[in-house]
Amino acid sequence: MNESLFSLLNYGVYGTAVILMLIGLYGALIKKSLLKIVIGLSVVDSGLNLLIVALGYYKGGTAPIFSPAYLAHPQLMVDPVPQALVLTAIVIGFGVTAVALALVIRLYRHHGTLNIDQIKNLKW
Amino acid sequence: MVGSPVLFIAIPLLAAFLIPLLGMIWKESVRIVPGLVLAYLLVLSVSLLQHVLAFGPIIEIIAGWKPPIGINLVFSPFSGFLVTLMLFLGLLVWAYSYRFKRNVEYEPALKYFLMLMMLITGSVGMTLTGDIFNMFVFIEITSISAYGLTSYYKERNSAEASFKYILLGSLASTFLLLAIMIIYSQLGTLNMADIATKMHLMKPGYKVASLIFFITALGIEAEIFPLNGWAPDAYAEAPGPVGAAFAGIVVKAAVYAVIRVIYTLFDLPGAYQFLIVIGIITMVIAETAAIRQEKLKRMLAYSSIGQMGLVLIAFGFGTKEGIYAALFIMFNHAIIKSLLFFSGSYLAYNSTEKNIADVSGMAKHLPLTSLLFALGAFAIIGLPPFAGFWSKLAVLTAAADSSLWLIIALVLAVSVVELVYYLRVVNRVYFFKKEEDMEPQKPTVNAMIVMLILGAIILLVGFYPDSVTGLLHKASSDLMDKSQYIQHVLSAR
Repeated sequence: MNESLFSLLNYGVYGTAVILMLIGLYGALIKKSLLKIVIGLSVVDSGLNLLIVALGYYKGGTAPIFSPAYLAHPQLMVDPVPQALVLTAIVIGFGVTAVALALVIRLYRHHGTLNIDQIKNLKW
Repeated sequence: MVGSPVLFIAIPLLAAFLIPLLGMIWKESVRIVPGLVLAYLLVLSVSLLQHVLAFGPIIEIIAGWKPPIGINLVFSPFSGFLVTLMLFLGLLVWAYSYRFKRNVEYEPALKYFLMLMMLITGSVGMTLTGDIFNMFVFIEITSISAYGLTSYYKERNSAEASFKYILLGSLASTFLLLAIMIIYSQLGTLNMADIATKMHLMKPGYKVASLIFFITALGIEAEIFPLNGWAPDAYAEAPGPVGAAFAGIVVKAAVYAVIRVIYTLFDLPGAYQFLIVIGIITMVIAETAAIRQEKLKRMLAYSSIGQMGLVLIAFGFGTKEGIYAALFIMFNHAIIKSLLFFSGSYLAYNSTEKNIADVSGMAKHLPLTSLLFALGAFAIIGLPPFAGFWSKLAVLTAAADSSLWLIIALVLAVSVVELVYYLRVVNRVYFFKKEEDMEPQKPTVNAMIVMLILGAIILLVGFYPDSVTGLLHKASSDLMDKSQYIQHVLSAR
C-alpha cells in the first residue's frame, strides 16, 4: 500500500466515523419510528467506536500482544487502551440497545403503534 | 483501618447478582439481603469517614497497577461524605419499600431490589472512582438500572418516560465517551489526578471542546436545563421510593461528577461563571415550571431540578464558602426531597393520575403523613427553624462574600415562587374537602418509621446545624485543595 493511499484511508476512517455518527444522530432525532430511533442510537455508538479505534492506530502498527511481529518491532505496537475502551463501550452499547428494544416492545403492546407522534400520553 | 473502599463496589454488585440465586432457596431473602448489605456498607462508610477525617484520604489501588496507569478509588472527606449520604438514603429507600413491595409478586420484587442495588452501586462507584473511563462505566450502570426502575410499573405510562430517558441517556453516554477520548488523545492518560497535572499541556480548543462534551453529557444526568426533559416524566412514572432514590442518589452522583470535572480536571476560570449562568437558568425555569404543574410528583421533580440549579450556582462561586453552601444544599435536598417523595406518594396513593387536587383534605385521614409532608415543604422552602433555612442562608452569605448581589435577589425571589407552589399543596391537604373517590391509604409501619427518621433529621439539623457543618467544612476544603488530591493519588502505594 503506497503512502498517499494510506493517508487517504486514514482520513477516510475518521471521515467515516464522523459520517456514521451524524447518520445515527439524524436517525435518532428526526425519525418517527421507535425502531429507527433505536437503530440510530446504535449507529452513533458504532461511529464513535470506530473513531476511538482509529485514534489508537497508526500505519504498520502491530497488535498489542506478545507475537512474532511484536518481537520484531516492539516500538510499532499500537496503543491497546482505546481497544480495551471500545470493547467496554461495545458491551455497554449492547446493553442499552437491549433495554431500549425491550421498551419498544412494551410501548408497542401498550399503544399498538411504533410511531412516536401517536405515543403522546406524556408531554414531549 | 476497618475495610477498603473497594468493598463499596464489590459487595453490592455481588449481592445484586446473588439475589436471584438466594431467592430460589428462600424467597424472602430477596427483600432482606439488600437491607443487610446496605446497612453493613453504611457502617463501613461511617467508620471509614471518621478514619479519613483524622488521617487523610484513602487511595485504593485496584489490581496492583499504581495510578497513572491503573484504576484507583479515592475515599476523601468530600467523596466519603457523599458516599455516606447516598448509602444512608439507599438504606432508607430499602426500608421504605420493604413492605411496600410485599403485596407485589415475587418476580417484580426481585427485579426491583436487584436494580435498586445496581443503582446504588453505580452512583457510589461514580463518586469513588479516580479514573474517568471508570466513571463512564459507572454512569452507564446507574443509567441502565435507572431506565429499568423508571419503567417498573407496567400499567402506567412508564415505558414512555423510560424511552425518553434512554434516548437522552444514550446520547449522554456518547458525548461522555467523546469527551474522554478527546482528553485521552491529547494527554494519553485516563487518571483524573494525572489529567489535572497535565491539563496545561492541552490546546485550548481541545480543552473547551472536551469540557463542552463533558457538561452536555453529565448535564443530562444532573438535570441541568435544557437537558432535563427526561426528569419530570421519569420521576412521575417511577415508583415513589425510586423518585426519592433519583433525587437523593443518582443526581447527587451526577453533580459530583460535574464538579469533579470542573474543579479538578480543568483549570478554566471561565467555567465557574458558566456554572453560575446554567445554574440560574436551570433554577428559574424549573421553579416557574413547577408552579404550573398539576401532578404532585412532576411538581416535586421540577422543584428537585430547581434545587440542583441552586447547587450549581453555589459551586460556581468557586470559593470555599460556596462549596460549603452547595454541599449543605445537597445534603438537605437529599433528606428533604426523599421525605416529600415518601409522604407525597402515600398522600396520593390511590390516585391514578397523582394530581395535586387528589390530595385535598388528606390531613383528617392521614394526620402524621400530612404533618411530615408539610414539614418537608417548609424545610425545602427554607423557613426557619428547619434544615433548609441554614443551607439557603449559607448560599446567601457565600454570594454576599463574592459580592454577587443579583444572585441574592434572584435566590430570594425564587424562594417566594417555591413558597407559592408548596403552600398550594399544603393548603389543599389541610383546608380543602376530600375528593369523594379518594380512599386514604395508611402508611406501613416501616414507611412511617423512615419518614419519622427523616423528619427528625430535618428538625435536628434545623435546631443544631453544628451537627453537620463541621463535616461539610472539611469536605469543602478537601474539594478546594486540588494539589493535595493530585499528590495523594499520584503518591499512592
